[in-house]
Amino acid sequence: MSLSSALETLANYRAHNSRASQEIVEKGKTILDSNAVSKLGDEAWAFLEQLALAAVDIANYDVADECLRQLVAKFPESPRVDVLAGIRMEATERPEVALKYYDDLLEADSSNAAVYKRRISILVRTGKIEQAVTELTEYLDTFYSDLEGWVELAELYSSCNQYTSALQALSHVLLLAPQNPFYVLQFAETAYTADDIPLAIKMFMLAVDIADRHASEESIPTGASVRAWYGVKLCCRVLLERPSSPSASDTPLPKKLNLIDELATERVLTAYSAAGEAGSAGRELVLSWMGPSDRSGASVHFVH
Amino acid sequence: MVNYIVGPAAYIKILFHVSKHPHLQVNGVLLGKKTSNSTVEIVDAIPLLHHWTSLSPMMEIGLDLAGNHAESLGLQLVGYYQACERLDDIALAPVGEKVASKVKQGFEDAVSFVIDGEKIGSDEAALIPYIAQSSSSSWRPSTDPSLFTPGSRFSLSSPDLPSRAVTLVREQQLHRKFGDFDDHLEDVTIDWLRNRAAMPSDLQTVPE
Repeated sequence: MSLSSALETLANYRAHNSRASQEIVEKGKTILDSNAVSKLGDEAWAFLEQLALAAVDIANYDVADECLRQLVAKFPESPRVDVLAGIRMEATERPEVALKYYDDLLEADSSNAAVYKRRISILVRTGKIEQAVTELTEYLDTFYSDLEGWVELAELYSSCNQYTSALQALSHVLLLAPQNPFYVLQFAETAYTADDIPLAIKMFMLAVDIADRHASEESIPTGASVRAWYGVKLCCRVLLERPSSPSASDTPLPKKLNLIDELATERVLTAYSAAGEAGSAGRELVLSWMGPSDRSGASVHFVH
Repeated sequence: MVNYIVGPAAYIKILFHVSKHPHLQVNGVLLGKKTSNSTVEIVDAIPLLHHWTSLSPMMEIGLDLAGNHAESLGLQLVGYYQACERLDDIALAPVGEKVASKVKQGFEDAVSFVIDGEKIGSDEAALIPYIAQSSSSSWRPSTDPSLFTPGSRFSLSSPDLPSRAVTLVREQQLHRKFGDFDDHLEDVTIDWLRNRAAMPSDLQTVPE
C-alpha cells in the first residue's frame, strides 16, 4: 500500500471518528516505520495521536509509546498530550494509579474537561457506578453543553434500572440536540422501559417526524424511521390491549390509536417491500408478528 | 440434570457478534431443541442488540420475531447470551436476567451464557453458563467445576469450535459481515435471523 493512500484512509477515519483500531495500526505503522512522520507537516500530530489511541486499543504498546515520545517532545506541556499519556497509563497500570495521575492534573488545571471524563470512565469500568454518576453530574454542572456527557449519564442510570433519572438526563440531551432522531428514539425507548407508554408513543412519533422531515409521505421509511415505526407499532399494541396505561409524565393518549396502529403496520411493511428480494423473507415474519391474530398475549412484555 | 451441547453455528455466531462490537455490550438468543429427556441441543444463535441493551422495546420485538422464526424451523428459543463492555465483567445484568427469564417461561430448561472476555481468542470455550434458581427469577453461574470438559453438563459439539471461530474472525474477518437486530432496524436487508453472508459454506443452513 502506498503511503499517500494510507494517509488518506487515516485522515478519513479521523474525520469520521472511526474506531477501526486494527486497520489504523496496520496502516499507521507503515508510516511510522518509514520515518515519514516528519514529512507530514502539521498533520503529523493528529496522526500520532490517532495512532497512539488505536495502538493502546489493541494493546500494541511499543507503537503507542513511540507516538507518545514524539508528541511529548513536541508539546511538553500540552493538556491534550497529558490525557493521552493517561490513557496509555490506564492500559497497563492499576486504576488507582491512573486516578491519582488525573487528580494531580486536575489540581494543576481544573479546566481540562477531558481529564474529568477519563476519571469518570475509570470509575465506570471498575464498577463504581454510583461515584461515576456523582462525578458526572458535578462535571455537567460546569460543562453543561457536553452532549456526550448527558448521554453517558442517561446510559449509566438505565444500566441501574433508574429509568426516570435517565429520562431527566435525556431531556437535557434533547434541549442540546433537538434535531437528532436517534436521541429522540433513545428517549422514547427509555420511556417505554420505564412503563410510560403514552410518553413513549409520543416520542416515537416525534422521531418519525424528525427522521422523515425531508421525505414525502409515500416515501420508503429508512434508518431511524423504521426503528421509530416499529416502536409506534409496539406502543399501539400495548395501548390497545390496555387503554388505561399509566403515565408518570401525565402524557395524554394520542387520538385515533387504531389509525396510528394501521399506519405503523403499513409503514414498517413498506420498508420491507421496498427492499426487494432481500426484504421479502423478513416481511413474511414481520407480517405474522403484526397481524391481529397475534394479539393473544403471546407477545413479550417485560415491564408490565 | 439436563445436559447442554453447543453446536457450531451457535458458537460461531456468538463469537462474531462479540468480535464485531468489542467495546459494547451485546446480546442475543439461542435456538435449539430438547432431544431426549436430558439433552438440549443449541443449534443456532440470533443476535439482538448492541446499541441500548438496557432498554426493552426493541428487545421485546426482536424476541418475538426470533421466537416466531425458531418455530418456523421446528426449533425453540432455549437460551440467552450476552457480552459486557468490560473484559472482566461476567455478571448477567438485570436486563439479561429479565430476558433470560422470559425465555425460560417458554422453555423450562433455558440456559444463559455470559461471554468470558478473557477466553475469547483462546482455544477454550469462552462461555460462562448461568442457570436459573428454581425458587426465584435470579440466575447463578453454574457450579460445575469442569465446564466444557468431558463429564461436564456443558459441551461443544466439537472441541475445535473455539479455535475455528477465532480463525474465521482473524483470518477471514467474517464477523464484519455479521448483523444483529439493531443493524436490521437501520437497514432491513440485513439478514439478522440467519446471517448467511457471514457464515462459512458448511453452516449455511440450520441442521434439522
